[in-house]
Amino acid sequence: MLTIPTRADVVRQARERGERVAAVLPIHYPRALLRAHGFQPMEVWGPPRVSVVEGNAHFQAYTCGIVRNATSFLMQGGLDAADVVVVPHTCDALQGMASVLKDFIKPRQPVATIYLPRAVRAVDRGFLAAELRRLAQQLAEIYGLRPSDAELLAAIEREDEADRELRFLAEHRGDIALGDRDYFTLLRAREFLPAESFVEVARSAPRGQAPGGGVPLMISGIVPEPMELFDHINAMGAHVVADDLACCSRRLYRPSGASDPFQRMADSLIDAPLDPTRGSPILERARNVSRRIAECGAKGLLVYDVKFCEPELFDVPLLRKHLTAEGISMLHVEFDMTGSIAQQTLTRIEAFVEMLQ
Amino acid sequence: MGHAKWIGIDAGSTTCKAVAVGEDGALAAWRIEPAHPVIEDQAARLVEELRSEAGAGAELPVVATGYGRKLVRCASRNITEITCHARGVFRALGQPGMLVDIGGQDTKVIVIGAGGRALDFMMNDKCAAGTGRFLEHSAARLSVAIEDLGPRALASTGEESISSTCTVFAESEIISLVAHGAKVDAILLGLHRSLISRVVAMVHSVGLRTPLMLSGGVAKNPAARAMLEQATGQTVHLPEYPQLMGAYGAALVGLESGAGAADKQA
Amino acid sequence: MNPKDYLAYTLGYQLLGKSYLSWQRHSDERAIKALRPAADDPLNPPLVGTARMKELMSRHYLEGRYANGVRKVAWVTSGAPIEVLRALDFFLIYPENHAALCGARRHAEGLCVEAENAGYSRDICSYARTDIGSALSGRTPMGKLPRPDLLLCCTNICQTVLYWYRVLAAHFNVPLYVVDAPFLYDKASDHQLDYVLEQIEGLIPVAEKVAGKRVSRERLQEIMEQGKSCAELWLTIMDRAQHRPSPITAFDGFINMGPIVDLRGEPETFAFYTELLGEIDRRIDNGVGAIRNERKRVLWDNLPVWYKIGKLSRHLGAKGVNVVVSTYTYAWGELAPMMDAADPMRSSARVYLHPILNRSTGDKLRSMREMVAKFQLDGAILHSDRSCKPYSLGQIDQRDNLANDLEVPAVLLEADHSDPRVYSDEQADARLDAFIETMEAA
Repeated sequence: MLTIPTRADVVRQARERGERVAAVLPIHYPRALLRAHGFQPMEVWGPPRVSVVEGNAHFQAYTCGIVRNATSFLMQGGLDAADVVVVPHTCDALQGMASVLKDFIKPRQPVATIYLPRAVRAVDRGFLAAELRRLAQQLAEIYGLRPSDAELLAAIEREDEADRELRFLAEHRGDIALGDRDYFTLLRAREFLPAESFVEVARSAPRGQAPGGGVPLMISGIVPEPMELFDHINAMGAHVVADDLACCSRRLYRPSGASDPFQRMADSLIDAPLDPTRGSPILERARNVSRRIAECGAKGLLVYDVKFCEPELFDVPLLRKHLTAEGISMLHVEFDMTGSIAQQTLTRIEAFVEMLQ
Repeated sequence: MGHAKWIGIDAGSTTCKAVAVGEDGALAAWRIEPAHPVIEDQAARLVEELRSEAGAGAELPVVATGYGRKLVRCASRNITEITCHARGVFRALGQPGMLVDIGGQDTKVIVIGAGGRALDFMMNDKCAAGTGRFLEHSAARLSVAIEDLGPRALASTGEESISSTCTVFAESEIISLVAHGAKVDAILLGLHRSLISRVVAMVHSVGLRTPLMLSGGVAKNPAARAMLEQATGQTVHLPEYPQLMGAYGAALVGLESGAGAADKQA
Repeated sequence: MNPKDYLAYTLGYQLLGKSYLSWQRHSDERAIKALRPAADDPLNPPLVGTARMKELMSRHYLEGRYANGVRKVAWVTSGAPIEVLRALDFFLIYPENHAALCGARRHAEGLCVEAENAGYSRDICSYARTDIGSALSGRTPMGKLPRPDLLLCCTNICQTVLYWYRVLAAHFNVPLYVVDAPFLYDKASDHQLDYVLEQIEGLIPVAEKVAGKRVSRERLQEIMEQGKSCAELWLTIMDRAQHRPSPITAFDGFINMGPIVDLRGEPETFAFYTELLGEIDRRIDNGVGAIRNERKRVLWDNLPVWYKIGKLSRHLGAKGVNVVVSTYTYAWGELAPMMDAADPMRSSARVYLHPILNRSTGDKLRSMREMVAKFQLDGAILHSDRSCKPYSLGQIDQRDNLANDLEVPAVLLEADHSDPRVYSDEQADARLDAFIETMEAA
C-alpha cells in the first residue's frame, strides 16, 4: 500500500519548517516561486463535497462548480490554514472569482493573481517573466522572504525533479501496479505535497503490471471528481491507460534552459502541454490527443468535464470530429461538482464501455 | 408459451417491462405496468409470472436494463438501455439505422450498426423538455387525456408557438396563452413541435442515419411520429411493440451470450 | 485583383447599392417623421437619425458581400486594436455585431441550433453559437459575410472570444493574431502596458504581410485621431441623458451603437453622430423626453436583451421608467479622454487595456455608483446575461451594494443577450414590476 501524507500532515510539516501555506486555484502557476518565498502550495480543485450556499450567494448558477465550491469552502473556513489565496487567471469564471474575492468577499488572506498569456511568442515569455516578478514582490511583502537567484534556482530544480517523477508515472502507466483510483490519487498528490515529499512517494509506487482487463480508455477533462469515478469505470469493465487532465498530464512541465530564474519559470509554464485554457490551437491539440491514444492503445476517449467549462466546450466538436475521422470513439459527459456522480452520467459511461467491448 | 429461453426486464422510471424470448429470438410473452417504487419486488414478480407461464420448473435466466437495472436481483447480468434498445430494434425491424426513443423521462438517439451494435448515442435525461414528461405535464395542465394529445394536435387547424424550452417556463406560457383565448388544440400542436424540435436537434447532433426508427412510450403518439417525419424528411419506422424494445433487447443479449444463469458480470 | 470581383463591387455596392440605400434612408426618414404615436403610446416618436444609422450599417454589410477579392478582410473582436488594420485599408467584420443583429432580428435561434447540431454546447456564449452556426451553414440575414483573410482577437472583453476565434481559425484556415490584454484586478502596471503595446506593434508586420503593403505612420495617427473624435462625440451623446426628462434611452443607445463599434473613426460615422446629437439637442430645447412620462430613471448594466428591446422599452416606458444610460454603451465613449493622439501607440495600449470588461468587479460597481449620481438615477437593472460571464459575475454583490449600501433599488434580470429560448416574458415582467414597485415605494 502506498502511503501518502494527508493535507493536514502537509500543513503541520510546513509550519514546522517555518513555512506558510498558499491555497492555489487551478490550473497553472509557478510552484517554485511560491516555495522559494516560503509558501507551500496546496491546490483547491473544488473540493466536491461542500455545501454551495455561500458560493451561490455570490455567483450565478451558470458559473462552474470549481468556483462556487472553492468560494464556499473558503467562506466555511476550509482554507483557514492558508496565508494567501492564489488565483491564476485561467478563464472568465476564475477571473470573476478572484475579482469578487478581492473587491467584495475580502477574505482574511490576501488574494494574489497571476495572468497567464494565451499564446507562445517571445512577447508572451517576456511578459510572464515580468508578471512572475510582480507576484514575487507581492509574496515578499506578505511574508518578508526575498530569495536570492540561487535560492530560486534551487527551488526550481526541486520542482523539476518532482515533475520528472510525475512524467515517469504518466508515461509508464502500464508499469505502475496500482488500480486506477490509487494511481490518480498518486498523480494528484502533486497538488499538495512538497516537491521533495512527492518525489519520495512517487518513487515508492509499486512497479509491476498495472491491473487491467477490459476496455482501455483515455480520460480527459479538468479534474476527475469525485474519485469514485475510477471505481465505477473499473466495475463497468474498463480501465484508464492514459490521461489528458488539466490537473495531471496537462501539467507535465519540462525544465527550461533560461539562466534567469523568472524567465526559466515562465518558459516552463508557456511551454506546458497543449491546453485549451492556454489558447492552444484546437487541431494541434486534437492531433496530439489522437497520437497519444494510438500510443497507449486506448479504444476510446472519455471527456469528463465540469459543467459550464467554456474552454473545454469549445474544443469538443472539433476534437470529436478529428477522433472520429481516426476511428476513435469519444464520449463527452458533464458533471456538477457535488460529492456524487449522477446515475445518468454513469449510464452514459457504461453504454460507452459496452459500445467499445 | 413453450420454447421460452431468456427474460429481459426494462426497469424504467415510468414503466416496468418484462419480455420472454424463444430460442429463435422471437417475442414469446410480455408484461408492462407502471413502475412501482420497490423495483426488486416488481421485477421478481414479473419474472415469476413469465416463468410460470413458460411451464413448470422453467428457470429462465434474466438480463436487466433500464434505470433500475442494478436493483433486479434475479438478473444474472445488467446492461444499459442503449445497448439493449439497439439490439431490440435491430431484431424487430431487421436493419441498422438510427433509433429515436422518446420515453417518459428520457430521450435517446442511437446509431445502430451491423448486428444491432450501438455505434454512437446521445441521451437527454437531465431535463424534462424533449421527453414524454413535457407533453404529459402540459396535457395535465390543459386537462387533456394523454391518448388524446396526438390526435387533437394533428386535427388542429392552427398552431401556437411555444418558445420556452424549459418545461416550467412553458407552463407559464401555456397559462398566458389560454388566458388570451388561444385554442387548446393549437397549443397542443405547438407543444409537440417544441418536443420534436428538441429531438431533431439531438438527431442532427449525432448525425442523421437512415432508416429512422422510433420507439418508447411517445412512439404511440401519432402526432409525434408525423412531425418527426416532417422535420427530418424521412419515413419513420415503428416496431410492433415500441415500448418493449429495451426489455426485448435485454433478453436477446442474454440469448446471444448463450451462457446460463451462472454468468455474472463483474 | 480579379476584374469580375472588382466589377461586381463597383456595380453592386458603389453604384447601385449605395444609391438604393440612400433612397431607402430618405424613405425611412419620411416615415419616421410622419409617425403619430397613439395617445396611449408611452414612447415619444423615435429618433429620425435611426434611419441614417440603418443606412450606414446596411451599406457596411452590403460592401461586405462584394469585398472578397477587392479588399483584404479581417474579422475582429469588438475591443480589438483595429487602427493598424484600418490604416492598411482592411474591410472589417465584427462577428459580435453580426450576432447582435441576428439576435435583434430573431435569427439567432436558428443559427444557434446549427452550431448546437454540430456539437457546440448551449452553455457557451450565444454570440459565438450564432456566429459559428452562420459560418457552418453559410446563412445570414445580411446576405453574405466575406471570408476573412485575417482574424484579430483581443481578450480585453473576455476569454470566450479566444476560444471562439480558435474555432474560426480552424474553420477558415487563416492566421489568427491574438492581442492578450491582462485583466486589471487593480491599477494597470507598466509590464501590462508594455505587453499590450508590444503586441499591437507586433500586429503591424503580420497585417502588412496579409495586406501586401506597408502601413503609413501618418495614416495611423490620423485614424487614431478620428477614433478619438468619434468616441468623444459618442460620450457627449450618452451624457445628454443627464437632462430631465432624458431625450434618449439606453435602448436608443443599443439601437444606434453599430457605427461606433463597427465604423469608429470613419468620417461618415462622425457626421452621423453629429447630426444625431443635433436632433437630441432639439429635443432637449423642446423639453421632449424619449418617453412621455418620465417618473423614474434607471441604468441598465450588461448587454441588452437584443430580441426584447422593443418590448422592454414599452413595458418600462408605460410605467414611466426611463432607462437613461447603460454601462455597455458608455464603454465606447468613456475611454475617449485616455486617447492621446500625441502618443498614439502607447495611449492605444492603455485604451485597449481599460475597457470596462477588463476592469475589476469593484471598479464596475464604482462606475455604476458614479452613474447613479451623475444621471440622478432611481434604480438599476442588472441583466444577468448567461452568455457573458465577465459582465455577469460580480453582479450579485454589485446589486446588493447598490440596494443596501447606496439604497438604490436594483434588480437582477436573468436572460441571455441573443438566445430567446432562455427568456420567459412572464418571469421577466413579474420581476421588473416588483422592482418598479420597490422604486415607487422608496
